[in-house]
Amino acid sequence: MTITGASAQTWPIAVSGLKNLAGDDSQSISSRFDRTLSRDLTLSGYYTLVDPHTFIEDPQKSGYQLGQFNFDDWKSIRAEFLVKGSVQVSGGKVQITARLFDVYQQRSMMGKTFSGDPDEVPRMARRFADAVLEVVTGTKGPFDSKLAFVSTRRGRFKEIFTQSIDGQDLFQVTNNPTINLFPMWDHNADQLLYLSYKTMAPALYIANLVERRETRIDTHHGRIIGGAISPDGHRIVAAIENAGATNLYLMDSEGNEIRELSDTGGINVSPSFAPDGQALAFTSDRSGTPQVYTMSIEGGAPKRITYSGEYNTTPAISPKGDSIAYQSRSGGRFDIFKIPIAGGTPEMLTDGSGSNESASWSPDGRYIAFASTRGGRSRIYILQVESHKIISALTEGNGNDTNPSWSWWLGD
Amino acid sequence: MIRIHRGRGGSVTRTAGVMRIVAAALLCCSLGAAGCSSKKAQGVDNLNGAGSQVGTETDKSTLEKNASGEGVIGGQGGPLTDIHFGYNDYTVQPQDSSILRANATWLQDHPDRNVQVEGNCDDRGSEEYNIALGAKRAQSAKDYLTTLGISPSRISTISYGKELPICHEQDESCWQQNRRDHFVVSGGQASR
Repeated sequence: MTITGASAQTWPIAVSGLKNLAGDDSQSISSRFDRTLSRDLTLSGYYTLVDPHTFIEDPQKSGYQLGQFNFDDWKSIRAEFLVKGSVQVSGGKVQITARLFDVYQQRSMMGKTFSGDPDEVPRMARRFADAVLEVVTGTKGPFDSKLAFVSTRRGRFKEIFTQSIDGQDLFQVTNNPTINLFPMWDHNADQLLYLSYKTMAPALYIANLVERRETRIDTHHGRIIGGAISPDGHRIVAAIENAGATNLYLMDSEGNEIRELSDTGGINVSPSFAPDGQALAFTSDRSGTPQVYTMSIEGGAPKRITYSGEYNTTPAISPKGDSIAYQSRSGGRFDIFKIPIAGGTPEMLTDGSGSNESASWSPDGRYIAFASTRGGRSRIYILQVESHKIISALTEGNGNDTNPSWSWWLGD
Repeated sequence: MIRIHRGRGGSVTRTAGVMRIVAAALLCCSLGAAGCSSKKAQGVDNLNGAGSQVGTETDKSTLEKNASGEGVIGGQGGPLTDIHFGYNDYTVQPQDSSILRANATWLQDHPDRNVQVEGNCDDRGSEEYNIALGAKRAQSAKDYLTTLGISPSRISTISYGKELPICHEQDESCWQQNRRDHFVVSGGQASR
């Protein structure tokens, strides 16, 4: 069975515990794997988890390979897909084998074996979830990746945080009592570009989370108030304010200017690179109101993309390069829209509830993370683009969470 | 030419006309940690006094006041008075020209003092766009004061976008209060 396209329909899947072959007597590794996998499958919007309380079979007493268990035990509780597997711990290393079964056709669809340290178990689950989506939908899932965002959860100030998409591994990147905004991952998810007022004036920083150092980018053109890093990590487009006018400049990753991309007396901000790095979308007020434009990084005349609405900002080009997500104001709040890269009819993706801002695409292009006040305080949510289904909040805690950036897939 | 300050050691080097100032800037905490101890992090992101200025009567910027826990206060926080703007607009409103003239007179009477104009927005716009809009508002006041005879070298500008509101309700009165230029007086030389 292959599911093409997304719909409101979800597929019942049972995530059985991993059979302990050695070293996981307390089932702590199995439960971490199951919990992460279950969360990611739920966040995908394609699956509904079958309640483990209804499970008939005990995974510790049955097998995990075809012929070693009874599909009727799963069919009778209406599971259409089933995940089973095994865990083995030896010499401090974990080996997990997981397998996806089609319950009705009684066949194995896919299997993977992972080995690594115990703290890598959630990542094994994410990679398995991505593989489940790949075999069932034809496109690899996006969960082996990271989310960066701004949050006031630790006090009054906006600080930059990162976490996994499924809400684990919260990490605080900045800690200064000023203003930190607009985190954006580089392609490897090793570095974060962000804007900070930590010297009491805005500047762009590139924080290398692996090497634990950061670079500040400055310019004699004026003050940098925002920017984007290219997919290959070799280019930055910065929005630089001088004498009230804000224009875009192309730089190399060291901060050396390559060329000025806009030259108006007005406002040109919020650059977003196309996946090939050769074009960008941005917000400009050159028509009198903020609208979304595209242009080549070689320079030249921008093309206006948005025409409906009087306030369209913060574009994000999709990973396939075929469309642009952006936010459009209506009645003092925003909704997320999508429009073809060449312009055309906008499609409203959010539902008018709360204010919905700062769209960031998942690497597979099927989801958008965005900030919304639909539940009161601002949180980051995940939305399935094709179905417009708002699946879940991705962040929780006190404070307001804003400015999501969804990374590319993590490397091996 | 773009300058880059890059963190690695403690030295300053020049390469092909590009100045590289090095400031040890280790990121706080290790990957995977649940958070940071604030002490450790203070050593990373500490405020190094870059915003402080020379002069005995120097006032702090609104950002510095907020950082040190004094909060965000508008209006008559100093000898100069705030001005306000229309929605998504950065032109000086006719009713505020008398405020700017009074502010200019004070600056003329105090030639040893400089001013930083802080541009601000209400919270209904996009964040990055609002930083640019706040910069426009600050520049409008600077241009106005300059036409009244104040040397532009005495006037610096900064935008806080919608990040430092003085009023937190969702109504027009509040939005109006937040769409403001605030004037912070300093002794010594303007920082920019």
